[in-house]
Amino acid sequence: MEIMTAMPDVISNPETVKAQDKAWRLIVWNDPVNLMNYVSYVFQSYFGFTRERADQLMLQVHHDGFCVVRSGSREAIESDVHAMHGFGLQATMTQEA
Amino acid sequence: MAKAFKNGARGITGSLASAERKLLRELFSDVITVLDERAQIHELPEDLDPLYALTGMRPESATLPEPSDAAVKRLLPDASEDQEVADEFRRLTEADLIAEKISLLRRAQLLLETEKLVLSVSEAQGFARALNDVRLVLAERLNIQSEADSERISQLVDAAKVTTSEEYLGLVYNLVSWVQDTLMQALMSAER
Repeated sequence: MEIMTAMPDVISNPETVKAQDKAWRLIVWNDPVNLMNYVSYVFQSYFGFTRERADQLMLQVHHDGFCVVRSGSREAIESDVHAMHGFGLQATMTQEA
Repeated sequence: MAKAFKNGARGITGSLASAERKLLRELFSDVITVLDERAQIHELPEDLDPLYALTGMRPESATLPEPSDAAVKRLLPDASEDQEVADEFRRLTEADLIAEKISLLRRAQLLLETEKLVLSVSEAQGFARALNDVRLVLAERLNIQSEADSERISQLVDAAKVTTSEEYLGLVYNLVSWVQDTLMQALMSAER
């Protein structure tokens, strides 16, 4: 068995790794079409939020024009965006600065 | 006349008059047509490696043009403000999203066969999504861009006072909104 004496310098630039690791955010945007109770229901049924939490986020979308619903890995947020589009909500993803 | 959806022992029930069901079925058809047209753009050139067709994957070189119809853009929005991210997302996932939507719209049409609708929670959720897609398309045709626009349209409730085709479309929009709203109330009470 080989004994490792030093960590192999495979990744020479740790900064690049960091950039890739940065979380992505799911943003839901306000639009004048989607009903408030529909948006709240989507937040409850898809994310499993409580009624109170879902209403709070829905109102934030309504008043501020958008809301960061959650953040996570690129794959997780991509799947959230796809689901939101399936529900007809205007959603986008962005990587944290 | 339509009766509001209610949650009860048998499930989520509501009733729609024959003319209302016919109208809704036509509206679902319209959205299916709009999505089908977009799906045609997804067809890959014939000289392409057949493996792509087999896997349903879209090669990087075969970028999809942005939807030219604003209603399609509303149904299939950009996934990011970063155009590169949005384009890649569209290339990889848009075909699936179209297929999901069309499948829900077709199922919604089938639910309208009878005057009395008895829906499971999952059927009601799918029906609500189909109604929402109809509203997104109608809203685009009615040019609803702001809360003020939607407020103005919501005033159109009396069929006797409707004179233009735009007002009629507004009336239709309000009916679909009302159906979706009562459906959401029933779904909310089913959650408790």
